[in-house]
Amino acid sequence: MSMEFLVATAIGALTAGGIYLCLRARTFPVVLGLAMLSYAINLFLFAMGRLVVGRPAIYEKGATGYTDPLPQALVLTAIVISFGMTALALVLALRTFLETGTDQVDGRPDPDLLDRENRT
Amino acid sequence: MHLILLALLPFLGSAWLALLPRASRGVHAGIAVAHVVAALGLLLFVAPGVLNGIADQVRYAWVPALDLSVTLRLDALGLLFAGLILGIGLLIVVYARFYLPAGEPMGRFLSLLLLFQGAMLGIALSGNILLLLIFWELTSLSSFLLIGFRSDKAEGRQGARMALAVTGGGGLALIGGLLLLGHVAGSYELTDVLAQGDVVRASPLYPAALVLILLGCFTKSAQFPFHFWLPHAMAAPTPVSAYLHSATMVKAGVFLLARLWPVLAGTDLWFYLVATTGLITMVVGAAIALFRHDLKAILAYSTVSQLGLMTMLFGFGTPAAALAGIFHLLNHSLFKAALFMNAGIVDHEAGTRDIRLLGGLAKLMPITAALGMIAAASMAGLPPLGGFLSKEMMLEEAVHTAWLGAPWVVPLVALVGAALSVAYSLRFIVQLYLGPQRDAYPASPHDPPAGLWAPSALLVALTIAVGLFPALLTGWLITPAAADITGGTAPEFHPALWHGITPALMLSVIAVAAGGLMLWRHGPLLRGWELLRLPDAKRLFEAALERLVQWARRMSDAVHNGSLQRQLALMFLLAVVIGVEAIWYGGYAPGTRPLLPAPPVAIVAWTLLLAATAAVALVPRQRFVTLIYISVIGLVVSLAFIYLSAPDLALTQISVETVTILLLLLALNLLPKQPVQLSSNQERARNLLLGLAGGTASGLAAWAVMTRAPNDPISSYHWANSYSGGGGTNVVNVTLVDFRAFDTFGEITVLGIAALTIFALLQPAARGVSGQRLREWIADLPRSPERHPMMFAVAARLLLPLAMMVGLYIFLRGHNSPGGGFIAGLIVSIALLMQYMASGFEWADQRRQIDEHALIGFGVIIAALTGVGSLLFDAPLFTSAFGYFTLPIVGKFELATAMLFDIGVALAVIGAVMLALAELSHIAQRAQKEPAEDDGPMDVDPAKLRGLQR
Amino acid sequence: MSALIAAPVLLPAFAATISLLFRRRRRWIGAGVSIGATALLLGITVLLMIEASEGGVAAYALGAWPAPFGIVLVLDRLAAMMLVLTSALALAVSVHATLTSLDRRGWHFHPLFQFQLLGLNGAFLTGDLFNLFVFFEVLLIASYGLLLHGQGARRLTAGVQYVIVNLVGSTLFLIALGLLYGVTGTLNMADMAVRAASLPAGDHGLFRAGGMLLTAVFALKAALLPLHLWLPRAYAGAAPAVAALFAIMTKVGAYAIIRTGPLIFAGAAGRYMVPAALGTMILGFVGFLAARHLRSTAAFGLIGSTAILLTAVALFEQSAMAGALYYLPHTTIAAALLFLITDLVIRWRGMEGDAIVATPGYPGRQLLAGLFLAGGVALAGLPPLSGFIGKLLILQASLSSSWWRAIWAVILGTSLVAVIALARAGSTLFWKSDVTPPPPARRSAPNLAEAAPAGFLLAMLVLLTAGAGPVTAYMEAASRQIFDVAGYVRAVLPPPAGAGA
Repeated sequence: MSMEFLVATAIGALTAGGIYLCLRARTFPVVLGLAMLSYAINLFLFAMGRLVVGRPAIYEKGATGYTDPLPQALVLTAIVISFGMTALALVLALRTFLETGTDQVDGRPDPDLLDRENRT
Repeated sequence: MHLILLALLPFLGSAWLALLPRASRGVHAGIAVAHVVAALGLLLFVAPGVLNGIADQVRYAWVPALDLSVTLRLDALGLLFAGLILGIGLLIVVYARFYLPAGEPMGRFLSLLLLFQGAMLGIALSGNILLLLIFWELTSLSSFLLIGFRSDKAEGRQGARMALAVTGGGGLALIGGLLLLGHVAGSYELTDVLAQGDVVRASPLYPAALVLILLGCFTKSAQFPFHFWLPHAMAAPTPVSAYLHSATMVKAGVFLLARLWPVLAGTDLWFYLVATTGLITMVVGAAIALFRHDLKAILAYSTVSQLGLMTMLFGFGTPAAALAGIFHLLNHSLFKAALFMNAGIVDHEAGTRDIRLLGGLAKLMPITAALGMIAAASMAGLPPLGGFLSKEMMLEEAVHTAWLGAPWVVPLVALVGAALSVAYSLRFIVQLYLGPQRDAYPASPHDPPAGLWAPSALLVALTIAVGLFPALLTGWLITPAAADITGGTAPEFHPALWHGITPALMLSVIAVAAGGLMLWRHGPLLRGWELLRLPDAKRLFEAALERLVQWARRMSDAVHNGSLQRQLALMFLLAVVIGVEAIWYGGYAPGTRPLLPAPPVAIVAWTLLLAATAAVALVPRQRFVTLIYISVIGLVVSLAFIYLSAPDLALTQISVETVTILLLLLALNLLPKQPVQLSSNQERARNLLLGLAGGTASGLAAWAVMTRAPNDPISSYHWANSYSGGGGTNVVNVTLVDFRAFDTFGEITVLGIAALTIFALLQPAARGVSGQRLREWIADLPRSPERHPMMFAVAARLLLPLAMMVGLYIFLRGHNSPGGGFIAGLIVSIALLMQYMASGFEWADQRRQIDEHALIGFGVIIAALTGVGSLLFDAPLFTSAFGYFTLPIVGKFELATAMLFDIGVALAVIGAVMLALAELSHIAQRAQKEPAEDDGPMDVDPAKLRGLQR
Repeated sequence: MSALIAAPVLLPAFAATISLLFRRRRRWIGAGVSIGATALLLGITVLLMIEASEGGVAAYALGAWPAPFGIVLVLDRLAAMMLVLTSALALAVSVHATLTSLDRRGWHFHPLFQFQLLGLNGAFLTGDLFNLFVFFEVLLIASYGLLLHGQGARRLTAGVQYVIVNLVGSTLFLIALGLLYGVTGTLNMADMAVRAASLPAGDHGLFRAGGMLLTAVFALKAALLPLHLWLPRAYAGAAPAVAALFAIMTKVGAYAIIRTGPLIFAGAAGRYMVPAALGTMILGFVGFLAARHLRSTAAFGLIGSTAILLTAVALFEQSAMAGALYYLPHTTIAAALLFLITDLVIRWRGMEGDAIVATPGYPGRQLLAGLFLAGGVALAGLPPLSGFIGKLLILQASLSSSWWRAIWAVILGTSLVAVIALARAGSTLFWKSDVTPPPPARRSAPNLAEAAPAGFLLAMLVLLTAGAGPVTAYMEAASRQIFDVAGYVRAVLPPPAGAGA
């Protein structure tokens, strides 16, 4: 059970969960799926810099090894961008739900609401 | 030089007319006539030079990459055709002046007519086959506009669309054909192409090129399989029919056959394709013409038949036949244009074009009748007229041609064709002008004003003159034109009324007799023809088109059914397939990097993460619970970052995590909490399968890269130069704000835009349908009785200054150790948002002095100015500088311009997050219909406490 | 290379923030700043184009960090052409949006418009793959804002789909970038080209996976089969003026394929792209024929004509690329023109929106009929406009490929379908007026000046036709530059001695 195996399977699991949720029919699970995918991507990009334990990218004169700082910078940028995107996607999902009354992904009327309206 | 002017004149006229829509009819006609006369004059000025052999040519490079140059070349053949176009064009303009009823816009009509004339002239003059293509398609376009001129009538529109579809389709085939021809011949200049005859005929691409070019010619000249569009083009005003569909446009196909004759003709394929089509068209066209009742339809089908005759002649491939073809082309233009104008006059005067309602007009309209009868006689090929001569030459050629070895086939079919044409011509004469005078005509027919019959009179006079002294009048033009076609060897041209008893003469006598017989027995023949019940081409075409559109609609709606899941599934599937294909195709060798041992706590965290992921994916109904699982995943990922030496990442991940969960909570507040499951189990299984495939692929990819030694990454440079070049030891932060500052600049723009879009989305949410839905919103979760617990409110307010201080600390230390603009911005935003959460929206909103838009704007401006500022010190953009300063208490510390950039970043982050979440809570607040008089602790303002005690 | 190269990125940034800060004062400030900035941008990009047409590839290292380590802006003929095209199109669209007061139908139209330009210009200029990703995100999120401008149920549901598809696209983009960085250890395009040549055999599979995935993401932007399903609903849902600007969005995907294909991946994806492009062309023009509304007609026309462009690009051969580069501005302007005409039809007709049904005559109908005819001729690739020359170039160049029979058949076939569809739509919309419902009672006479931007686009098409000689010469030089990998690397990366620092 090496560290690489753990990280690789974690990425695999998160991607699988993300893809499964993205393919759901309602917008909220899809946004959750996107969040899961962004976790997977952050881990994936970070893993591209090969795993190093205990040596953060803080520069000291005589430091022996260091972890690759570039993927970390990329992941930082990716985190903030995906935060902006997820926030927008979520607000859009909410606004569309308020406007159309259904949070079905393709805008088709939601059977759940229909029978609720018939009941009341 | 004058060739360019000649080519441009019609277009100038057309543009001139288009710019003066409201001028009077006279002025319009004047402009049109002036331009055509000028062009005709210029042509005559150039003619002598051309006729004695030297072809006038001028060439301007236009698109060298395509070998397409504006080459204008006038040789005898071109001269003949240009003469026809301009001569008959002039007559048509005069005729149209008097023919068009007052209501119709004369300016637009003549402008389109001249546009068409310019295009036809372009075909005649172009010396580059691609330039010819451009003019060719232009004729299709302008004929579409002219046929559809009376756009309010349905048959005008349908006729125009059908003509465009057929001739346009043919034009596209021609593009392919001429490109192939040019490719094989090595150049698109006509002179070069014509010289490459043998090379082209020998090349394997010859059949394909030939078929494609012939498709273009046959559709334009309405040959057999594609003849159905011409009669329906008769919906156009008569001047258009007379000009386009008799004299010029439909002859463009035959002209192209003549023009490319030297390079394409001479092979069996050419003979069987062209001659056979011509033969069939001649007979079919003539047969249909005999039994139609609308005058213009008769003339239209007769044109189809005559064009078939000319195509057949060019198909024979012998110089003499080509000569006959050219001669017939001239004759046909003369009498057919006259006949069309004649039919126009009859329609104009007698009010109808149905031949069954007419008859016996000779006495009422003597001049028109005379002209009509002579022209029809020439069409029938009766002796003293031009038509007879060219028919004689045709029959002469037909006699000498064998078809598949059988010498009798061609003469027999030609005879049948000739007989039929005699029949319908005589029918035109007899049933229209001779015969008993009817008592009730729709309108009182009498001779029209001179302007209407004068043009046809001139043409008829020419026909007679050509009939009597052919060599004198046309020899000087026909012989050099034929020479151009056959490439140098000019066949001798000695037409005469009497060649002695020749087989051709015998055939034409039989034809005339048979024609008369057919006319005599026209009644029973007509009934026999109606028994055949031939399909109506237009109905077939419209039905086929409608079926095509319905099929296209079914297919397009099936493919683009607007389902997001289909597009996403395809994307993920494609990604996995790409991964598999790449590894299979590119080759893969496992990595050799030593693996890190995994401590037990890591394994525990790992299992926690897997469990949380499974929970989120498989338990979607309780959405609040899934939020908890999501935060567990976020936490484990942050721990992983800390453990794997990425402190900056962990800090950012935690703070982004908090804000995301806040966001999800606020949104979930209004979204349905336990919605019914929509997708069927079968779909969910497919999604799970695809998810697993995607997960395995990304896991394997990560594993493959992690277990492989790094390939000398460029970050070694960042590590070495971070302190010396950037002035900070936290290499990650220095990379963000210095090495790759442009990325970060783009990134804060993304955040800013996200906030602006969220604001734009939610601002109108209070009005309209969504506002209505907000007001009717029923809280579907039990709410805690105490909206704003006192402890929470006070704690949050105490926490605010502390959090601000921590944010500032994180901001200042960012350059040298984990921290930086982002994290600081996020911490401050969370602190501010806690106030919204704790004390409610109204309370927090009243105290909010800063405007988030300004924050975002200034954040981006500061970052941009820092980048541009380095220009003042003439260093490239986004260069940073730094220095060390000492303060008494604080000691030595480092200040870098990158700090300014970080301030911009922090401001943008705070502005964006605040704007987004403030708007969202504003909407959530509006839904909860907060009663104003609620005496929650929100009103207990510590500042006002003193007032209460008193 | 002067700092002018960064102007196309920084100018929109300042314009956006200024019009953002002055949004409450008076409406015309935002519009004035935006249009003024776009006009200035057009001037700057023309200057850059002149500079690029003389010299070779010019690189500008940001922050004075040498090429592979810092971010570098690269200006060559291709990038300069794209910049000029973008700013010219943007000028037309922003004037159209202001004339038809589209910018008042929602918040922040002009800031978002300028941010969109920032993203586009950044994507064309950058020489760094991750920076390309960031600018892709900038232009995408700005396009979300613009697409949703004006709200409305139909637009929102279309927006949800557009946003989610592009978010997943960004995820795939990051995976591809991760793989490429993990294997080659660099992000700079030129450096990656050098390192790709000397990759150990074992890494080729992963490198190819990263490259093909990256090309797939660009293909998603360029709406290549099967990744084009999102486009019709998204562009038909957007406001037509905004969709006119989006015509350039698909060309960003094509640009990225043109830039990275020959440089880094040696045209590896060509094998699969040609059949996919032919399929897209068929589907595009079938949809073009099947469309019931002008908006979806224009959207499918855009898919179809971009597919013609991608077919020529996918051959990854110099003369085909020159043909593609000539066709690129043409198809962008033609599609944008059709979208603007759709907007004018909706506004002037006053009834039936943009449905292709007959309605009684209305003032300005003749002008619209003329514009529609010109736009249709351009999109269908008929002479006398530049589409015809573009198609001839592509047909001629594709003769050297083994696919030429299929390419010829599909291009000529779809042109015929386009001609038929346009004739049907045109005659129904502009000729047929006899059997129709009565006109709406109140209809304000349309202000014919609204057709000026569409006229400007048409003038650009005529200019492209008349100036085809010099333009094709420029494009051939650009195509040579694209395939001259060594020249690009020499211009961007410092000499090898210095790189070892």
